[in-house]
Amino acid sequence: MLRWLSIVFVLAVVQSGGAAEPALDGGAADLPYESLPEELPFKIAPREGRLWHYPCLKCHADMKPNPQERKLVARHLDELDHGRDRIWCLDCHDAENRNVLRTVSGEQIDFDQAWIICGACHAKQQRDWYYGAHGKRVGNWQGERIIYNCTHCHDPHEPAIEARAPLPPPPVRAGLERQHHTVTGTHRIWERVGDMTPEGSREER
Amino acid sequence: MVFLRYLWDSFKQLFHGSALYWVWVIFLLLIIVMGGWKYLEQLDQGLIVTNMSNQVSWGLYISNFTFLVGVAAAAVMLVIPAYLFDRKDIRDVVLLGDTMAIAAVTMAILFVLVDIGRPDRLWHMIPFIGNFHFPQSMLAWDVIVLTGYLLLNFGISFYILFNHYQGRPAKRKLYFPFVLLAIAWAISIHTVTAFLFSSNTGRPFWHNALMAPRFIASAFCSGPALAIIILQVVRKFANYPIRQSAIDTLSLTMTVSLQITLFFIGAELFTDFYFEGAHSASARYLFFGLHGAAVLTPWIWTALVMLLVAVTICMIHNLRRNTVYLNIACVLTFTGVWIEKGMGMIIPGYVPTPLGEVFEYLPNFTEVTISLGIWAIGILMFTLLAKMAIPVEAGRLRHPDAGDELRETYLEEDAAESPENSEGEEYEAR
Amino acid sequence: MKNDKSSVEKTTDGVDYYRRKFLQRLGLTTVVAVGAGKARLAWGGRTLEDAFADFFQQHYRRMTPEEMQETLRRIERKARQQYGVEITCEDTPPLEGVVFGYAINITKCRGYRDCVEACVQENNLAPDIRYIQVLELDKGSLDLESADRYYDRDSVPAEGKYYLPVQCMQCDNPPCVKACPVEATWKEPDGIIVVDYDWCIGCRYCMTACPYSARFFNWQRPQIPVDRINPDTNYLGNRPRPVGVVEKCHFCTQRTRRGRQPACQEACPTGARVFGNLLDPDSEIRYVLEHKTVFRLKEDLGTEPKFWYYRDA
Repeated sequence: MLRWLSIVFVLAVVQSGGAAEPALDGGAADLPYESLPEELPFKIAPREGRLWHYPCLKCHADMKPNPQERKLVARHLDELDHGRDRIWCLDCHDAENRNVLRTVSGEQIDFDQAWIICGACHAKQQRDWYYGAHGKRVGNWQGERIIYNCTHCHDPHEPAIEARAPLPPPPVRAGLERQHHTVTGTHRIWERVGDMTPEGSREER
Repeated sequence: MVFLRYLWDSFKQLFHGSALYWVWVIFLLLIIVMGGWKYLEQLDQGLIVTNMSNQVSWGLYISNFTFLVGVAAAAVMLVIPAYLFDRKDIRDVVLLGDTMAIAAVTMAILFVLVDIGRPDRLWHMIPFIGNFHFPQSMLAWDVIVLTGYLLLNFGISFYILFNHYQGRPAKRKLYFPFVLLAIAWAISIHTVTAFLFSSNTGRPFWHNALMAPRFIASAFCSGPALAIIILQVVRKFANYPIRQSAIDTLSLTMTVSLQITLFFIGAELFTDFYFEGAHSASARYLFFGLHGAAVLTPWIWTALVMLLVAVTICMIHNLRRNTVYLNIACVLTFTGVWIEKGMGMIIPGYVPTPLGEVFEYLPNFTEVTISLGIWAIGILMFTLLAKMAIPVEAGRLRHPDAGDELRETYLEEDAAESPENSEGEEYEAR
Repeated sequence: MKNDKSSVEKTTDGVDYYRRKFLQRLGLTTVVAVGAGKARLAWGGRTLEDAFADFFQQHYRRMTPEEMQETLRRIERKARQQYGVEITCEDTPPLEGVVFGYAINITKCRGYRDCVEACVQENNLAPDIRYIQVLELDKGSLDLESADRYYDRDSVPAEGKYYLPVQCMQCDNPPCVKACPVEATWKEPDGIIVVDYDWCIGCRYCMTACPYSARFFNWQRPQIPVDRINPDTNYLGNRPRPVGVVEKCHFCTQRTRRGRQPACQEACPTGARVFGNLLDPDSEIRYVLEHKTVFRLKEDLGTEPKFWYYRDA
């Protein structure tokens, strides 16, 4: 009975923490990561309102972490299509506190600061994102710069963006019909010219 | 006043005509009414009643405009020998050439008017009241040169006719500077029209230096071709003698111009097809079709064949001097240049679009009807103006108080030329 | 002539009589004219006053602020009469110290056409006009002649293809501005090439001059579906256009001059579009242009487009 009460108590505490206003900053308020500038040149659209299972401690407070790298059969994650088996869950998720993430060096960071982790491997994209050549600025082009976190567009467990159907093709002028003229010829010279194996194949030489 | 009497006397001439004249006038009026009807439809619904599109945004109207500016410019081919080389035989017909120019320029202006999306806003082009973008816009230049040419031709012809009506020769000191101006101006109207197209860097089919020379050369084919036919009609139906030497000179002009035009077309073909790149796409569309789109190819090849046959006829002396063959050559030339400089020049500039899209265009019934209506207006205008001018030039229409000064001047000139006149065959066609 | 009493009275009244008659008639004419002016006659259902004011409306750059306000209200009345919709029309001036630039990341563009549709909605486009054309090209070449703008697939991006959205390049050296015979199109201080739809005469010479096929003509009165009319409009931007005039992308002046992103940038789900102030050295657009591999279409023509393409690498 006491065990159940303590769980309820812990859950209540955690729920109240999770019900706080999600911070609209780079997570700077509780920034443990010190090599970033104090003042980021942008604000990040918060993730925490959009995370399905947050706060994770709802369940994980009571579950013993298992640091053994293995294939999971969890309810909310049975496939990790990221990194081709080079990484696994606890590389990004903090084992002790599932409400936060962990950097490569083990520091705890907010979900809103997930970009720090992504950038550890994807440094080029992170640099581009930081300065605006990658990702999306929302709202205004001037004044306060609010941008999306990486995970807004890229599901970290399946980051590749899927193909989808495009919107319909454009019309021609009202009253006229579409014309269909097929383009022949190709710039794929190798298709036009054919096989260009030199005299004697590589195996023979 | 003499002036009002002149206007009234001239106006009365319009009602003295044979049955054929009246049939002709009524026939033209019917075509004009049909064209006007369709134009009202266009005014009501917008240019959507045509076949033009965002891809091919200029069509039959501008094609006709381009061709007609050339015909108008070719009046200079009569003005130069008449006034600069003092050819009396051509001076007899120079006013008819001016009248042809007036009708052609009027048609050209009308074709631009029917092509405009908002004709109710034309006042926007008036300097100071509106906003006239001169000298940057080539269209602004075109407005000035066409209006000026119309006024020049009208002014000079009217001045000369008015004086002849009073039985006296026009004062050469007064009109000769304007004649010189008109000669230069004639070249300029067609050069400006060519620059309208050749200034577009985004359209490689037009963006070349040969456009202006080509336009002038083909103008001097189509203008004389039309003039030769008109002069024969006048000779037959209007009781006005036309010396054969005038027609001979015009046919020689046409011959040389045809040769130059075909040379220019050949130069264009070489430049486009020796090493084809993206810039040759429009030429390929016109002559051979592009990606399956080829509505214009039969037209351009027909035009080329017409011009080649015409130049062949003209280069053979005996054929050129034969009325039947000459007229065939004139019809072939006129039609061939209409195709080559009209639809064959304007439409390929838009196919493919600067973004590479092939979207074809052929005019529809509305456009053809309106175009025919405008042609009928021009032809009727020429008919009526000629009907007013010829009696004056033939000496039949004079103010009651007219003197003999003009007649005496003509007699003096004829006497000076009498060795030629005694051959006596120049008033008849061979 | 009978010398009856009435005619005698008239003659003795003399000038007074005729003056009275004249004033009466003048007064009646004025009342009728004013009434006719205000009344809705067969001037396309508009008042005579509005129709006249429309006809004599001056060029945008020559209107006084009062004339502009009157014009804006007249435009709002016209929209109410023509479409049955209440719109607001403002004249938003350009911002100081701003020249707009736009860049598209062609590694990211996947050909969805979300930008195309967003533009149609935002700018009250007629159903047959699209300011943005997305070209599908074969990887390995930039040959526009083999581009397909009408692709209709189950999924994009297609194998071996890449996508190039094209819209008005807002050239810094615009051929269309030079071509217009009435100066109905010009470059604004913030770099946007705008069209005064009430000044354009519809000659379409600018469309001929444009090397990017970026300008479009209203061949008929735009049949904008009434239920999707965007009521927040701008004089030089997305207000409903009349028949017979040219229009084109204007970088959403109604949005961008108020600091907002253009509709196409907002709609793009992949974040391929970067828009901003070229004069701000800290802007994203400047970062892109100074650090990425960029190119512009038909740069060799000398049009100086303010619309770039770049790649991730």
